[in-house]
This record gives sequence, structure tokens and C-alpha cells, in this order.
Amino acid sequence: MVETTAEMGMEARWTWRGPSLAWALLAPSLLFLLLFTYWPIAQSLAQAMRIETFGSDAVTWGFGNFERLFEDASFRRAATNNVVYAAGTMLPSIALALALAVGLQESTRFNATLRAVVFFPVLLPLVAAAALFLFVFLPGIGLLDYYLGKLGVGRTNWIGDPDIALWSLIGLTVWKNAGYYMLFFLAGLQGISTDLYEAARLEGAGAWGRFRRVTLPLLGPTTAFVAVIALINAVTQVDHVVVLTKGGPSDSTNLMLFYIYQQAHENYDYGKAAAATVLSLAALLTLSALSLRTLERGVHYES
Amino acid sequence: MQTWKSLVAAGAVSLSASLAHAATEIELFFPVPVEGKLAAEMKNLIERFNTEHADIDVTPVYTGSYDETNIKTRAAIKAGRPPAAVIMSANFILEYQINGEIEPLDGLIEANGLTADAYMDRFWPALHGNARFADKVWAAPFHNSTPLLYFNKEHFVEAGLDPENPPATWQEFVDAAKALTVRDGDRITRYGFMLPGNYDYLGWIMTALTMSNGGQYYNAEYGGEVYYDTPSMLGALSLVRDMIFTHKVTPEGVTDGKAVSTAFFAGDASMVMLSTGSLSFIRENMGDRYGVAFVPRNVRNAVAIGGASLMMPKGLSDDQKAASWTLINWLTSPEISGHWSRFTGYFAPNRAAYDLSEMKGFLEANPDAQVALDQLAYARSWFATFNTVAVRKALEDEVQAVMSGDREPAEALAAAQAKADEIMRPYVEQTALKLPQ
Repeated sequence: MVETTAEMGMEARWTWRGPSLAWALLAPSLLFLLLFTYWPIAQSLAQAMRIETFGSDAVTWGFGNFERLFEDASFRRAATNNVVYAAGTMLPSIALALALAVGLQESTRFNATLRAVVFFPVLLPLVAAAALFLFVFLPGIGLLDYYLGKLGVGRTNWIGDPDIALWSLIGLTVWKNAGYYMLFFLAGLQGISTDLYEAARLEGAGAWGRFRRVTLPLLGPTTAFVAVIALINAVTQVDHVVVLTKGGPSDSTNLMLFYIYQQAHENYDYGKAAAATVLSLAALLTLSALSLRTLERGVHYES
Repeated sequence: MQTWKSLVAAGAVSLSASLAHAATEIELFFPVPVEGKLAAEMKNLIERFNTEHADIDVTPVYTGSYDETNIKTRAAIKAGRPPAAVIMSANFILEYQINGEIEPLDGLIEANGLTADAYMDRFWPALHGNARFADKVWAAPFHNSTPLLYFNKEHFVEAGLDPENPPATWQEFVDAAKALTVRDGDRITRYGFMLPGNYDYLGWIMTALTMSNGGQYYNAEYGGEVYYDTPSMLGALSLVRDMIFTHKVTPEGVTDGKAVSTAFFAGDASMVMLSTGSLSFIRENMGDRYGVAFVPRNVRNAVAIGGASLMMPKGLSDDQKAASWTLINWLTSPEISGHWSRFTGYFAPNRAAYDLSEMKGFLEANPDAQVALDQLAYARSWFATFNTVAVRKALEDEVQAVMSGDREPAEALAAAQAKADEIMRPYVEQTALKLPQ
């Protein structure tokens, strides 16, 4: 359309070319990003630097909120918990997802059924899964203790013992997410040419050798992607904390996002909540950038 | 075609309706704090109110738990669109008063030709403290509770205890718990006593135990003081520790309130301490196999009330205020109050509800509800301070540590007191410690 008008000799007409076209196409999503992402980030930054005191309207600016944050033992506890939770959920769920994908990649009817079974937890919203697990985790009479009891294991207070509670939540998360990550690995496996496996087989590589030398390197981009998704999940999903423990007992399952919620809505300390938000955002951005880069360095992309 | 016609017809009807009388539209925020079918019943009630009051159109808005209702109300006030009435956890009212976000009811009460004293006299005395303070009436009690000791009658008989004579003192309570606990070698197959250890519930149960031990728990007259590091609370917390670790009649660690009621239904626990608000739910699940008793005493009988009150946020128009006041009076009337009480298990705050014949019949058929009512004579105001939830959590985190065997009661209470004082400091500095220059 643009070309025809140009051919017709209508000169100096403004055309949809170059940067203006790009901006026009980006405009709708930019608008929403601005409204719902960048503007809130700017507001959080401002709120984090804003210092208010109860009973006075005076406002000063500075790093006071961050200082108070670092002095708060609950904040340090939530940060440590989140690191343990991230590591504890990412490694097992990714390993499990990879193992399941490799084991179930061939399209037989039996495998399709198994895949559906493994994928099932993904279909449940986390909040519903957590509500169910309240009864799975019941000490003595819950599903878990009932079957463990048949094996002679005594009763365990899965979410009420501060030494165990965080690990119970980690277990729930791995159960919930492994099937989801499996999907990415299955897709990744489709992209690996069977020629490579045949070649490897001719070279005399066993099953483990083929997995290590062919599958794993070629799944590099998928693994990098899944790792970042898993990391983001570990920071942004706290439904189960809200439903099952509210961060307890004694803050042992408090994660950063729930800590932020508590500061804002229980303590009405918006400054501290904003400061913690800014810090977790910064940590998340840095970690995502780092993990994508380091993983990509060892990644083999197909041309 | 059919839909168009009906749409036009509907439009015409609503147009003529709004021309006939411009009904005042208001919102009621309501939480559902306990198990059961409360949300559906609340909608039925409001439908009935709207039919009976042509000039008012109330929209009931379900706002989740007590805590979530608090958050949503604050957000609505901040956004400049406050609901006309909120069913608010009774101990959060103080914070709205401290923050100047609530409308006192005194003017409306006087316009009805009543004094504040006469108005409050409708409600049980135990409920006054959380509704009327700082010289004004801030809220109307809507449904209230106290903690009760629920026990399994069959277990009592099995253990050689008299189900008609449940434990009244801490000594009898511990003795009964020991007799009720069933052991298989080192393993415990049935616990004598369980208490909810989750946030919010735990603080309330600790209040009951501390008050039964002669304690105050908090300064009911001033929102900047709590009495955590005191002998009365040390005794209460030591009782809990002893039941877990010395007598081994209560499970270690934290058990959620829902898990406690499930354990009680499953016969896994013989005695539990839960809210009167769970009475209907427990009756449904236990039939006649359970009994209820007062919270046992060491020094005296005393518990804190729980439940919720109706409040009016600031920033309403005069029409909205009038409509809201009509709604509040209707919801707290003897008839509705009694109906809601029979449906939920909460007791009716309006004393006149118990003069109605339906209520008399109900109490005769359900003597457990009578026990809950009798305990009211010993009930007191509910813990409320500046930043109530955070101050409560300061104690609960430490009690949970004791229940998990990580801390001794004395050091736990000292830590809880320090943390609570730190949380209340901004308020204290602006009030009790604000001295003439």
C-alpha cells in the first residue's frame, strides 16, 4: 500500500517506515508496561527512600528504611529462607523434570498417560494445592503420615515443626512444578535431531554417554530458560505460605514476598516494605542476568 | 429478539424504579472467619434487608478473612471509596480510631433519642471495651465468641472420667489430659489436649490462659502497653510447655486450628480449645459425642472475647451514613442477632435476643450453647493495641518457639516483650512519652 502510493509519485508523504513503525507497534504493550510495571517500580523506589514518622506529616528522604530493614531479624530470616527455598526447589525440580522428560519422550500411549499424570499438579492453582496439602500434612492422620505409619515411621508435624516446615513447602513446590518444567524439556528434546543420536551410537556411545554428550549440551538453552523461570517462581509464588503457615512457626517459612506483605499490611510500614521490594527486585534482575549469561556461555545453540 | 425485548423491559423497570425512589446504594464488607456456610447466609440476610427497606440498596461484598477485610477496608478508605459498613474484627477498631479513619456513632445514637449508656446497655457488658473507648462509641458488636474447652464424651467415659463434670481447674485439666492420653510404648496414639498454634488463634488462646491465671495481657485503656513479660503469662506459657514436654499430653510444634478440629473429629485428640464460633461446625461433625466447658482456671475464670463488630469508616455522605445506621441497627436487632447466632454458633451480642422464644427453645435443645453464654459473665475485652497484628505476632513467634522446644518460657517472654515494645515505640513516643518541653 505504502509502495504503491510512492510509485504514484506522491512525494513527501509521511510513511510508516523506520522507527516510527516500530514505536507504533510497540505502543500498546509499552503503554501497559509503563502503567503496570515501570510506574509501580518508580513508585516503589520513591516509597523506599521516603521516611515518615507516626504522628507527624513531615517527610524526609534517605536510606533510613534500608537501615531499619537490615536491622530486622525477620528480614534476615526471610532472606535466608528464600535462598534455601530457591536452591531447594530449583535443583530437584529441574533434575526431576529433565529425568521425566527423557524417560517419557517417546510417544507411546503409556507414556502419554504417564505424562498427563505427572502434568496434573500443574493444572491445580497453587492456592488450591496448598489447601489440599493442609490435610496431606496433618500429623498422624494426614495422607502422608497415614502411609508412612504403615511403614513404621512415627508421626511428623510437617508444617508445624520449625525445623521441617520449610522443607515440606519445598517438597510441595517440587511436586507442583516438576511437571511444568518437564514440558519445556520435552519441547527441547523434539528439537534434537535423531541423526546425532545415530552418529553417537555408531561411535559406540552408551545411553549415559549419549545423554551426557548429546542431550544435555543441546538442551542448554532450555535449561537456562527453565532455571530462570524456576528462580522467578521461587521469589514470586507464596500462595502456599499464605494458606499453610503464614510464615510460621516462628518465621521459619517466611519468604521475602510474604515478609513484604506483612510489613505493608500488618505493620503498616510501607517504607520498609518498599525497601525490601526494591532489594528483591534488584536481586532477581541480577540473578536472572547472571544465570542467563553463565548458562549461555556453555550453551550450544543450533544455527 | 427475545433477549432484546427482555433487556428493554429490564431497563424500563429499573428506570421506573430509580425514578420512583432513588434508593441509597451502600456497600457492606463482610468476612467469613470460621468454617461453615456463613457467606451464603449473609447474602440471604442482606436480600431480606433490601426487600424490607425499599429506600436502601445494600450490596454485600465478601472480603475474605478478618485480616483481609481489614486490608481491603484500609485500601478502600485510602482510595476515597469507603464501604458504608464493615463487619470488622472487634480488636481492629482501636487502630481505626488511632488513625482517625472511623466515624463515631454517638451522633446517630443521640438522634435516635438514646444516650450512649442506654445504647451500649443492649449488649453484653464483656463486649463494651472493644466498642466504646476514648469517650465515644465506635462500633456495634455483631457476632462474638469466647474460647471453649471441647471434650470427647466417649473418651471421658473410657478413661474413667465423668463427662458431666469436666475439668474446671488447671490441676483437674492436666490430670484429665494425662488420663485421656493413650500411649503405645513411646508412641502417642491419642493426645489428651490440643490447642491451635497458628497465628491469630494462638494469641487468642494465650490470652485466655493468661487471663485465667490472673493476668491482664494488655492495657485495655491504652494502646501502647502489653504485659508479656509477667508472672501470669509465664505461668500460662509454662503450662503449655509442661503439657507438651513434661506430661507429653499435647503434640510438639504448631498445629493449625483446622488441623485441631480435624483431630478432634477423628478421635485423635480428646480435649481441644477452640472458639465458640466453631460450635455449629463441631455439632455437625460430632453429633452428641462432645461436651463443652469453660476454659479451666488457675487463679480465676477469665477469657477474652473474639468476634466482630459493625463499624462505619469516615468519609461517607449523610445519606450513606443514615442508610448504614439503619443497616447496623437491623443487623444487631434481637431477631436478626438471634437468627445469626443459631446459624453460626457465635453468641448474640444483643441481650434481648435471648428473650425471644426461638432462642429459649434453641438453648434448651443445645445446652452447649448455654455454656458458651454462661462463660460470658467472665469474659473481658480483646487484645487491641497500636499495630495489633504485629504486636500479637511478636508473642506468637516466641510461643511457637517454646512449643517446638527451641526456647524456655522466661527467655521467650522477655524477647516477645522487647519486640512488642519496639513495634509500639512510635505510638508511645507520640503519646505516653510525649512530655512538656
